[in-house]
Amino acid sequence: MKLYYFSEFPHHEYPDAEGDKFPSLRLAFPNRFFDRAKASSNYQRYLTEYELADEVGFDGLMINEHHSTPSCVNVGANMTAAVLARTTKRAKLLLLGNILPIEDNPVRMAEQIAMADLISGGRVLSGFVRGVGVEQWWANSNPVHNRERFEECHDLILKCWTEPGPFRWEGRHYHFRHVNPWCLPLQQPHPPIWVPGTASPETAVWAGRRGYTYVPFLVPFDIARELFDYYRQGAAEVGRTVTPDNLGFLICAVTADTREKALEAGRHFVWRMGPTLRGPIDWFQPVGMRSRGAKQFALKARPRSLAQMSYDELVAEHFIIAGTPDEVADKFALVHEQIGCGHLLLEAQESRMDHATTMRSIELMGAKVIPSTAKL
Amino acid sequence: MRFREETIRVGGIDVHTWVGGQGAPLLVLHGAGGNRGVTRWLEQVAAHHTVWAPTHPGFGGSGDADWMEGIDDLARFHLWFMDAAGLVRPHVLGHSIGGWAAAEMAVMSPGALDRVVLVAPAGLKPETGEILDIFFYSPLQLRDMTVHDPKTIPEWDELFGKAPTPAEADITERNREMTARLTWKPYMHNPRLSHFLPRVLNPTLIVWGREDRMVPVECGEQYRRALPNATLTVLERCGHLPPIEQPDAFARLVVDFLGAKT
Repeated sequence: MKLYYFSEFPHHEYPDAEGDKFPSLRLAFPNRFFDRAKASSNYQRYLTEYELADEVGFDGLMINEHHSTPSCVNVGANMTAAVLARTTKRAKLLLLGNILPIEDNPVRMAEQIAMADLISGGRVLSGFVRGVGVEQWWANSNPVHNRERFEECHDLILKCWTEPGPFRWEGRHYHFRHVNPWCLPLQQPHPPIWVPGTASPETAVWAGRRGYTYVPFLVPFDIARELFDYYRQGAAEVGRTVTPDNLGFLICAVTADTREKALEAGRHFVWRMGPTLRGPIDWFQPVGMRSRGAKQFALKARPRSLAQMSYDELVAEHFIIAGTPDEVADKFALVHEQIGCGHLLLEAQESRMDHATTMRSIELMGAKVIPSTAKL
Repeated sequence: MRFREETIRVGGIDVHTWVGGQGAPLLVLHGAGGNRGVTRWLEQVAAHHTVWAPTHPGFGGSGDADWMEGIDDLARFHLWFMDAAGLVRPHVLGHSIGGWAAAEMAVMSPGALDRVVLVAPAGLKPETGEILDIFFYSPLQLRDMTVHDPKTIPEWDELFGKAPTPAEADITERNREMTARLTWKPYMHNPRLSHFLPRVLNPTLIVWGREDRMVPVECGEQYRRALPNATLTVLERCGHLPPIEQPDAFARLVVDFLGAKT
């Protein structure tokens, strides 16, 4: 099983009591609480941590993107990928990912991902996401069109990468009469495509039909298995065989020299599970963004939201894994045994988890966890 | 007054329609909250006019129209609905996004309409205020922001007082999705509409609630200034739903206006 290091570039650099005064940390928490100096040094810090993860042997570095939220100030996945393409040597750069429905120019996106692939020597794994509802508000993109735009944007990017230009594209949501990008990915026919999922069976089926790597985020094992079944159903429709390489899973994880230290560090993940996901349902799932089927599945997948769970419960249900390297390796083996995924993505950092703790965790993962996990 | 429900097929879409009353035809176009059927004000108006109250495509019991992108599409659709229903030069009354649709119909085809009643219509960007972003709030929050004072509303209990059944909740969600399709961007207005409004010479009555928290009353002034033959009546202690909040006063205004000699 391959391991990926993921930092969400959090900006937990304000008094919590201030954040609590607003209906949500997303969209509503005023950006006067954005600490520019702290953000500047944090970007350097987070990139350094990624670079160590590359050095110690992580298979990949996962990069994401959100907007208008202190939970993630990585506002340009492709920008971060371009930096890491230059400063890292071997790890894959897993963009998970670019938010397709809010993109108005898929041709530019195809070019940017291609450029990161070229600079990195072909290390890009190109994830495409539908985004959380907050991004629809940020971009003022009609959520009713989210799935249609996701699919059309995907189709146009793939066409940019695989069909010779110039060509014309006149779809429902995207219109370009002269498409001829002079920047194509190094990997042929194109970088591998990944898709995350939390609750939409449609997305799992869609990814399965295309053989894309599919990654449920922070769901219970039984829900991950059920989503993987939807994925297999899509694969079966087109006669595709599913291997562990098609399946990934994301959790939060940290290790330290002692169990106590690791458990103390892991407590920082509670912020991303609770306060950063707090807010009106219409902000996170605006009108029309989710199908009826997905809504019903979401209720089943999360009878209780992550925000309602205590730290102990989050640890007990393996949303957070924290322990000594041996303990962590055992838990990763358990995840692998439970759901049979070939890729495990570790959200492994939080801004109040200090730099030294984060670096030590990365170091220990490299020295003591990756060697055993790689054998799974 | 007895009303009947009809299904009228327009461009391949089944349109659920309430029809009833007597007299010259009056086309009634509902707002984002959906077709509330035969309410108190409508019964009173139907004593003087034959009311045709279609449910917009994508709303309530009417068929889908996922291809529609704006209120101008809805306006063209309802001009077509008039042909299909055999309505010759009806009066038109529209509320909120239905009022916006009525204004668009009037600029497209003023000769096809008789008198026009616009009730708190969206459609124009307020010069100083903002139109409330309804998608940012839950249906329950909106219910309370839509009206000025629930206690003064005679039909409050039957229209809003009960928890919705699952089927009603589905319809609320469907109405909301279709409204998003039609109004998302530019939000709740058409920047080009004001340039065309001077074409509409039809006598027009604009009705607004002074305490409207959805579409500010200044938009009523903007409509009045742009329309050559319009008057604006502002109801005090009234929010965004004049026909529901003050049904008797509202019905009287409408009946008097439609019955007046030109």
